[in-house]
Amino acid sequence: MLNTVHNKHPLLIIEDSDEDFEITCWALAKANLHCPIERSSKAEEVLLSLSARASQVDCEPPLPKLILLDLNLPSMGGRQFLEKLKLIEHIPIIPVVVLSTSNNPRDIEKAYRLGAQGYICKPLSLEVYVKKMQALVNYWFDAVEVPNNHQMFSPNTQSR
Amino acid sequence: MTQTKSSDSSESSSPPLFVNAENVTLSNCDLEQVHLVNAIQPHGVLLILEEPHLRIVQASANCKDFLGIGTEFLIGKTLDILLSHEDILVLCDHLAKANLLNTHSHLISIKHSLHNKQPLHLFGNRINDLLLLEFEQVDPLPPIEILSVFSDIRESLKSLQCAESFQFFLDKLASEMRKLTGFDRVMIYRFAEDKSGEVVAEAKATDLEPYLGLHFPASDIPEPARRLFALSALRHLPNVDYVPVPLVSDPNILHPTRVDLSYSFLRSVSVMYSEYLRNMGVKASMVMPLFKQGKLWGLISCLHSSVRYLPYEQRIPAEFLAQLSSTLLTDRENIDQLGYHTKLHYSTQKLTSQLQNCVSITEALAFRDEALLSTLNADGAAIIVDGQLTLLGKTPTGKQIEKLAKWIAQRETSVFSSHQLATEFPDAQEYQQTASGLLAIRLGFTSKDQILWFRSEVSKTVNWAGDPHKPVEINLENCEVRLRPRTSFAIWKETVLGQSLPWLSTEIDYAHRLRQIIADILIEHARLLSKVNAELQRSNSELDSFAYAASHDLKEPLRGIHNFLELLELEEKEHLSELGEKRIKTVLSLSEHMSFLLDSLLQYSRIGKNELLLQAYSTRNMATQAIELIKQSHPDPNIEFILSPNLPIVLCDQMLVSSILQNLLINAIKYNEQTIKRVEIGCDTSLIPPVFYVRDNGIGIAPDNYAYIFQLFRRLHLRNQYGGGTGAGLTIAKRAIERLNGTIWVESELGKGSTFYFTLTPESSKNVEHCA
Repeated sequence: MLNTVHNKHPLLIIEDSDEDFEITCWALAKANLHCPIERSSKAEEVLLSLSARASQVDCEPPLPKLILLDLNLPSMGGRQFLEKLKLIEHIPIIPVVVLSTSNNPRDIEKAYRLGAQGYICKPLSLEVYVKKMQALVNYWFDAVEVPNNHQMFSPNTQSR
Repeated sequence: MTQTKSSDSSESSSPPLFVNAENVTLSNCDLEQVHLVNAIQPHGVLLILEEPHLRIVQASANCKDFLGIGTEFLIGKTLDILLSHEDILVLCDHLAKANLLNTHSHLISIKHSLHNKQPLHLFGNRINDLLLLEFEQVDPLPPIEILSVFSDIRESLKSLQCAESFQFFLDKLASEMRKLTGFDRVMIYRFAEDKSGEVVAEAKATDLEPYLGLHFPASDIPEPARRLFALSALRHLPNVDYVPVPLVSDPNILHPTRVDLSYSFLRSVSVMYSEYLRNMGVKASMVMPLFKQGKLWGLISCLHSSVRYLPYEQRIPAEFLAQLSSTLLTDRENIDQLGYHTKLHYSTQKLTSQLQNCVSITEALAFRDEALLSTLNADGAAIIVDGQLTLLGKTPTGKQIEKLAKWIAQRETSVFSSHQLATEFPDAQEYQQTASGLLAIRLGFTSKDQILWFRSEVSKTVNWAGDPHKPVEINLENCEVRLRPRTSFAIWKETVLGQSLPWLSTEIDYAHRLRQIIADILIEHARLLSKVNAELQRSNSELDSFAYAASHDLKEPLRGIHNFLELLELEEKEHLSELGEKRIKTVLSLSEHMSFLLDSLLQYSRIGKNELLLQAYSTRNMATQAIELIKQSHPDPNIEFILSPNLPIVLCDQMLVSSILQNLLINAIKYNEQTIKRVEIGCDTSLIPPVFYVRDNGIGIAPDNYAYIFQLFRRLHLRNQYGGGTGAGLTIAKRAIERLNGTIWVESELGKGSTFYFTLTPESSKNVEHCA
């Protein structure tokens, strides 16, 4: 059952750097992530498609189970994305974990204040990165329950 | 001979006993009531009349000599016993028109009285409701053409006006006066502040001993005499050995009034004066006052070694010249200073532009083309700006000036000048050789910011005409103490110490102006400074933002480099040679170090970039947290943390203080080779503001290095020593402390340990949030 969820709902990575994306994928693979990984390099695209899903009842394509968000993005930045996400009504609830180079306490505080569910500093060492990704996978994909957005958006739920 | 009594007191409250020639004594010399002498000189006649009937109430005893009728026949009669009806009519006409109060004026000239053939001049003065009528002979010589008198005076005046300096002016005045009056010696005598006199110009017969440059003590011309000299345009004593002519009054009146003869031309002179002249070898004198801006400035004193009487006709031109000279005096003295005045004015203009173009006042005043010292005729100068003392030329020591400046700061006026400083500020005696003269301006109201000019001592030799300390001699006559003027006028030299050349009024004006200019410029500076400050703040914050962005953006590719090298190392291991593997390790270590550097830079720039969030925080809690963090990042059982219990609650930014404490703690344990590393965090709360400290028993710092330890990326040791590090920890701590308006300093002993002290005094501005 868990596996199906794993398989069906992807992990969405919002990241503009190809190199960083490659390394993150590599680390996630080492951490035994089994679900598909989707990538977007523009936060505003993700916001657009998610807000489109707010009015739809479609189950396809499956919504991401978790978003890994880079803060430093061209055009719409990570912080803006978090801000906007909170403002859109009926948007599917998807946990967002920030993945950033910055270890500035103010950045960290701000991200949580804007509704991020986690903040991971990208370390220099791959070994440390793999460990961090392992913890992430364990937590978000094995340990916790997340809202089932499809039930939320079923006709029943809507009529309620 | 004391100077304590003034003429005013003698006038307003007449002492019961008149002081006169018979009973003048040491203490009452100034009180000798010369104007109440009740006698006249014999070169004329005095009648005292009551108006309007012109009844003669008193008369001098010598009427017969001039008027041809004995005095006894005149007392109690009206004037028509003496003058013809026509003369009386003309006289009455003049009396009706003339004021005659406080003045002695020529009224009419008559061909003769009713009793002889002598032509006479009549002079008048009104005092105490009485009319004083004086008669003098008309000059028997044929009258001088009035036009020629005028042209003589015009020539004299012209040469006075052409005098190229004030001194020449005075010299000319003396010689012109001598030409006009024919006296042996004409001296221009100037009163000093202390009323002593100095002969500043002299014209004399060649065989006479010069008096030029001689000083005379104030008592030589006592206050009553000075007053009388000032009252009349001309005083004349034709013969010092004259026999005074007494005034006769109605024998039926028991106590006739002594009439005030202040304005009388014939008045008998003080016995001290005639004796004084006699001692000098003088037989006749004539004195005219010189006024400068309404104040008695000095005297023109004409002396003659034989009897000399100048009739009215010849006195007029002299009197006229003296009065004209008085009006010229002020101008002439000012013109003399004009060149210097212009130079000083030009200097202020130059200094103004220097001050405007220079950031530092000291620099502008002391080290540019137009310098303080070269302009004003001074030997040394001191500039105190923002407590910084700059010395130029010959000055007292810094310590002495500091005390002096403190004294100046407490004075009421912002400009101070003295040419004998030690008399006002006794401490200055220590350095009176270098600074007997001081001219000081205060830049602020009570501030110690000042500019001071010094003039060195001029050991001045004053030549006194006789011993100034013994202006009189005491003679015992008839078992009575009698005072007489000194008989010796031989030069008596006195050396005056503790004095410099006096400051001229134009120099004091210059100081005033300079003070105003500096004040204006200071205001302008303050305005510019606040503008520059704002700009600096903006550019600083831009720089911080830049450093932050740069280091942040550099971190990403650096991490990429590191990551891909690691991938290479992991995944291509079998294809790598041993050397290749080693080189990859080197690049990895280098990129790790660079990452640390970037982290430090980020942390550093973050301190300036972020807004302060001031709140009251417990420093004890923050210290505890910092220690916990260190324990996690540097697990070592041999570190002993000591937290003193009195860490206070202070207003601060939590993030900054945490950063300060962490960096200081890391520094304390990093540079420590002891088996038990001890770190103590404490605070001396008895001080304001409280002084925090972080003390360790580490390797210590050599004093030479105190300055370097706070510099960014400056390391005192090799990179592989003491656990590496970027060399930014103390810099970050210092910057965070300064951001909170505090200061940091270190005390250390090599091999024993170091103590870092710091204060936190953030300005409680509007963004203070008070903790509940």
